[in-house]
Amino acid sequence: MSRLFALLCAGLISQIPSGALRADETAPLPREVRTRFEIPYRLTDTKHVLVRVRLNGKGPFNFIIDTGAPALIMSEKISEKTGVVNEKGWGKYRLEIEGGLTLPATSGLATDMFQLKGMNAMGLAGVELHGVLGYNILSQFRIEYDFTADKLIFTKLAFSPPKMVGLGEKAKGGQGGLEFAGDAMKMLAPLMGIKPNFETRSRGLIGIEIESSGSTVRVRSVFAGSPADKAGVLVGDVLVSVAGKKISSGDDLTQAIAKIAAGDKIEIRVERGEGKKSLTIETGKGL
Amino acid sequence: MKSLHIFTLAIALAGVSGASAAEPTPPTVKVPFVLLPTGHFLVAVKLNDKGPYKLIFDTGAPTMLINSRIGKDSGASKGGGGFFGANQSTLKSMEVGSVRAEKVPVVVMDHPTVDAFSKFFKAEHGSIDGIVGFPFFARYRMTVDYQQKELTFTPNGYLPADVTQAMMLAITSAQNDKGKSKIASASALWGFTADKSASDDAAGVALGEILKGSPAEKAGLKSGDRLMTIDGRWTDSLADTHAAASKIDAGRTVPVTVLRDGKELTLQVSPVKGF
Repeated sequence: MSRLFALLCAGLISQIPSGALRADETAPLPREVRTRFEIPYRLTDTKHVLVRVRLNGKGPFNFIIDTGAPALIMSEKISEKTGVVNEKGWGKYRLEIEGGLTLPATSGLATDMFQLKGMNAMGLAGVELHGVLGYNILSQFRIEYDFTADKLIFTKLAFSPPKMVGLGEKAKGGQGGLEFAGDAMKMLAPLMGIKPNFETRSRGLIGIEIESSGSTVRVRSVFAGSPADKAGVLVGDVLVSVAGKKISSGDDLTQAIAKIAAGDKIEIRVERGEGKKSLTIETGKGL
Repeated sequence: MKSLHIFTLAIALAGVSGASAAEPTPPTVKVPFVLLPTGHFLVAVKLNDKGPYKLIFDTGAPTMLINSRIGKDSGASKGGGGFFGANQSTLKSMEVGSVRAEKVPVVVMDHPTVDAFSKFFKAEHGSIDGIVGFPFFARYRMTVDYQQKELTFTPNGYLPADVTQAMMLAITSAQNDKGKSKIASASALWGFTADKSASDDAAGVALGEILKGSPAEKAGLKSGDRLMTIDGRWTDSLADTHAAASKIDAGRTVPVTVLRDGKELTLQVSPVKGF
């Protein structure tokens, strides 16, 4: 098992059809004023550096920044969604990276990488992975990685990266016959009781501004028309419990609200003057 | 389950990994790399003061990986290794150029893809023996520059978590919460409602009600605005919007872009403490 994981996680991709890459995406961009881009990222549970992209306006999709990959590579399903016509798997894409970076015509390869297939089958990354950004994109920038900061810094280089080539025919089966690994994980996952769910819901809106001091969390204001207002929460109420969780600090509250999905009906208990009150709130969609 | 049990053992062994502490004024070190015609690049690495060995530098690799030959040669593994004996070990030290890291977890394994690279480039570059990944580079603010063919490293005090452990957690939680979805939660209160119908696949979300007296109202957001980004992050669904807002603590002022009457506007919003 651990062997399979290690294989999947190497993230190293040699497999590209030879002779299919054109040099065009290495040409300098049209006059672009901006050369520095702050790119939001997250680390997946598997410690991959994940950025979000749109391809031909479709998305957002989750891509891994991968110097171990030769090019922009995406799953076939994603490529289909963009409507791009492929030739030997290669097509031209308008690539937007979250943070305001657009590459108007970049070559990309549509192929199902066994690494991503395997990780998705197990839900290992904690998020669905759709592809990787490799050399033909990354080489155009000086990229700064700092996991104590919340963005990557991409700085456009004034240079045309050398055109890259595939390992070619000599290295046929360049993945060393590893292609089985993705399917193996796909078969294993259900046997291990794993059914990944990548759906994310949004937390419910209540509409209470709070102030906390010590173990007291007090209602500072209630926005008119908000779910809290409709339920009768008043300024000055002290929160006793939220959705069953006792509140004796701001952290307690953070934990309690993180579990409330939009549309959930929850109970809030408050101290008001001498008495206690229990209020039912139907949370809204918003923040 | 037996396979899981073995996996857990590997984690126990790897659990001792740590990271070197950041210095007060950390120096930035430059390290050259060799760009291969395939777009991959190699760095010279010393392991346990042995080597240097040539390894592929791979930001997509959550683990360090070396083959059994240099595993043995550097003393990282006592034999074993090999394709059917992947084992986890800890390097006492590794050096990339003059950047030295201590206690770095490593997988010793003859990875077929690394082997394919090694064979292909043998004549020109000699043997290629593994992959430098996250457990090393995460400890630094790092830049990668293909024009200069150069990496730079500045210690940043980041302590990389062990990936094997993290994955095990992911699997157990996947087994435990069977299909339960996650909830994205804003860190502060903004004061607007938003929604998106299933048939709406355009970028952004439509703002509904702007609550009176809220940060959203004070910033000038209007009902009907199409919210496009929060601090540079896309807000393509309500969950997305919460995810973007989860990075913004109360009291911080961040730019928010909206489309209003076909024009893009940037407004500054300071969310408050609340929910």
